[in-house]
Amino acid sequence: MHDLAAGLQLILSIETLLWIAAGSILGIVLGALPGLSATMGVALMLPVSFHLPTATGVAMLLAVYAGAVAGASIPAILLGTPGNPNAIATIADGLKMAKQGRAGLALGSAALASLIGGLFSLIVLMSFAPLLARATLLFGPVEKFGLALLGLTLIASISGGQVVRGMAMAAFGILLALLGSDPYTNAPRMPFPEIFARTPLHNGIELIPALIGLFGVSQALVDLERLKAPRPAVPALRLRNLFPSAARLKRMWRVLLESSGIGTLVGMLPGAGASIAVFLAYDRARALTHTPDSGLESTGSGSVEGVMAPESANNAVTGGAMVPVLTLGIPGDAATAVVLGALMIQGVVPGNELFMHNMPLVYAIFIGMAFALVAMFAFQLIGVRLFPHILRVPLSLLIPLVLLLSLVGTFAVDGQAVTKATYNMGVALAMGLIGYAIKKAGYPLVPLVLGLILGAMLEDNYRLAVKLARGDQWVFFQSPILLGMLALIALILFLPRLKRAGILRGARP
Amino acid sequence: MRPSKTQATLLAATLLVAAPNMPALAQDWPNEELVISVIVPHAAGGGTDSAIRPLVEEMRQHLPARLQVANIGGAGSAQGTDELLSRPADGYSLLIAGTHTIGATMQGLTEGYHELEQVAALNWDAFIVAVLADRPYTTFAELVEAAQEEPGTLCLGNAGMGGATGIASVAINLAFDHAFNVTPFDGGQNLRTDVLGGRCEAGIFSQSELLSNLDDFQPLAILTDERSTLEAFREVPTLAEAGFDNLEVPGGSFRSIAVRAGTPDEAKQALAEAIGAAYESDAYQRFMQEQGIISTFSVLDEAQAYFDELVAGYEPVVREAGLYRE
Repeated sequence: MHDLAAGLQLILSIETLLWIAAGSILGIVLGALPGLSATMGVALMLPVSFHLPTATGVAMLLAVYAGAVAGASIPAILLGTPGNPNAIATIADGLKMAKQGRAGLALGSAALASLIGGLFSLIVLMSFAPLLARATLLFGPVEKFGLALLGLTLIASISGGQVVRGMAMAAFGILLALLGSDPYTNAPRMPFPEIFARTPLHNGIELIPALIGLFGVSQALVDLERLKAPRPAVPALRLRNLFPSAARLKRMWRVLLESSGIGTLVGMLPGAGASIAVFLAYDRARALTHTPDSGLESTGSGSVEGVMAPESANNAVTGGAMVPVLTLGIPGDAATAVVLGALMIQGVVPGNELFMHNMPLVYAIFIGMAFALVAMFAFQLIGVRLFPHILRVPLSLLIPLVLLLSLVGTFAVDGQAVTKATYNMGVALAMGLIGYAIKKAGYPLVPLVLGLILGAMLEDNYRLAVKLARGDQWVFFQSPILLGMLALIALILFLPRLKRAGILRGARP
Repeated sequence: MRPSKTQATLLAATLLVAAPNMPALAQDWPNEELVISVIVPHAAGGGTDSAIRPLVEEMRQHLPARLQVANIGGAGSAQGTDELLSRPADGYSLLIAGTHTIGATMQGLTEGYHELEQVAALNWDAFIVAVLADRPYTTFAELVEAAQEEPGTLCLGNAGMGGATGIASVAINLAFDHAFNVTPFDGGQNLRTDVLGGRCEAGIFSQSELLSNLDDFQPLAILTDERSTLEAFREVPTLAEAGFDNLEVPGGSFRSIAVRAGTPDEAKQALAEAIGAAYESDAYQRFMQEQGIISTFSVLDEAQAYFDELVAGYEPVVREAGLYRE
């Protein structure tokens, strides 16, 4: 109780609330604009967070994150193109509702669902994270290695549908993460070390510039191709009945609960992000609403259910994704990788220690996140009238803006060490080109991102585990936790094959 | 080609925007538009990191420019040191140097102290060999005995091979004929987690790293010549008291603040003043006392002389441990 009061003290100030509000607005706008993802938003605000008190900075970043995830639904509903992949499953019913002249209801329901999903995941985070943190002492190098491997396998197998391509991209990401110098001997690890060892490349590819390049720059390049395409017309908004009736919501309780649960669970798994959770939630909602006598409107027909299911799931991912971040220091996706970076910069080390000795900060982060969710909801409602205007921003203005923000964001991360900052801008541009090429070639980008994020963790923990076991590789088969993870990995890799081969029947039509 | 009016305007605008970002001249150091990076060459949460952050917090009140801590761990502090050496010598990048820098440099992991100038010598944190509280060995001698039963099996962890705990662990291991499996972790924070998790039997910790988990640990020996000033560790014997008076190992980690060689004097002077004021603050003095950190404050030439003396004293130890690279 004392900790809770201390936590409140950390977060309850006008300054903090203003930062949360600003982060929320920024997140919604960035989320709504095509080409600017949640990760970009969080990465752009990261340098700002360095100069705020820890709890304020983290709450502000979480506000951007939650806002961007929720904001993506706006263009999904109004235009049928999601602001970022988080809202991809909202299109089916959202767009239909807009065409039926119920865009206001769709937007309002989406905002409400985001709030419900977000709060649900926050409650799970608050109740489970302290318990999990106590269990983290069970997670040694062997288990952390396994967790990173599981995350990579998961993402490689579900993004893009082709396991081999996904794995290739994950491996490429790990390769990029290994560039730099050896973590034990400091020996240069790069092509032509005699030339590059004395350049900023000795520290490898830094995460933030790489993420900005892969998400921001590459999207701007993709957008360039459709510069001349006419922008779709934004339908007129009628602002009556923003929310479904209370009775309706009550009938929908299972849809909302299960979607939020799915989102939270998927968020907790490293690798699987909101873009996967939304489809799972939508599928589940379809099953629920197509049950006779459910009293629900079937998804696919422009139903509130079809909007609220994915929208509660994607915001539930945000709270779920914070679980591994705060307990194990393992980010579940790119956006939380940046949040984790912000925590580390402030000297906050995730894990048991944090929950044992710094509970006020943990509470402050939780409370900050609750404020962020409320702000997100409020600004989405207040902003309803403005959204059509945001969506009318022409690509010819948006593309240079994205590129400019990408470079400024990259430069700002490393202060004014000019060589380093210039190198980082180079990294962002190079990764932008690589990302563009990958998208054009039809390979999935997300496994590459995760490989880059988890690569160093894989390496460090692998080497430490083998060193502790005095060179014995069998150590990886002696941990029950890791064996469980390996079984899961095998299942993920071979289940689709077995299904295809007809060995397992009837799983899916 | 003559630049058009638009081009000229653009150029002027660019220069205006770029001007505040130019490396500052010494006379107006520090430029408050710029951020001063404090590079901690270890992972966050370890002894060095925890001892430095409160100082930086105080320094914020004595410098107009903003300060930002960056933890760049790896290769026993060599990667963070190299990061500093890749930046301009303008006083806007500081390195938390010390015994880890000496160790990493002597092992040939980085150019290290050859390229550094000391701004301030700060303090010492004593090393303690500790195991989990429920382990059967109650003295350092018993730990060594257990290790010798199956040589090379029992893990003796350190906070990174380049650092002083790394050298201490190698020196101990040599003295007992490779009885231990010496394992480097990425900073004291990670070492602590894996000793707490039972994956590494024993560790060489900074005294302050044990304070937050007193009940979980069983300290076996303190590596300094004198016993701890802290009530919690008053009973922990020194190596000599434990019967190992011929064991020559680094007794603790020393921390200093350094900049790249060639940094303008004006910047170093201003930094030394700010660090001095922060160091003398009640908050930091109290912090050091609570953590049992031993103060050895000096600045500039005096700090450099202190550091050079340490380097000279370290060389035989590092050579003895077989880690010295010319």
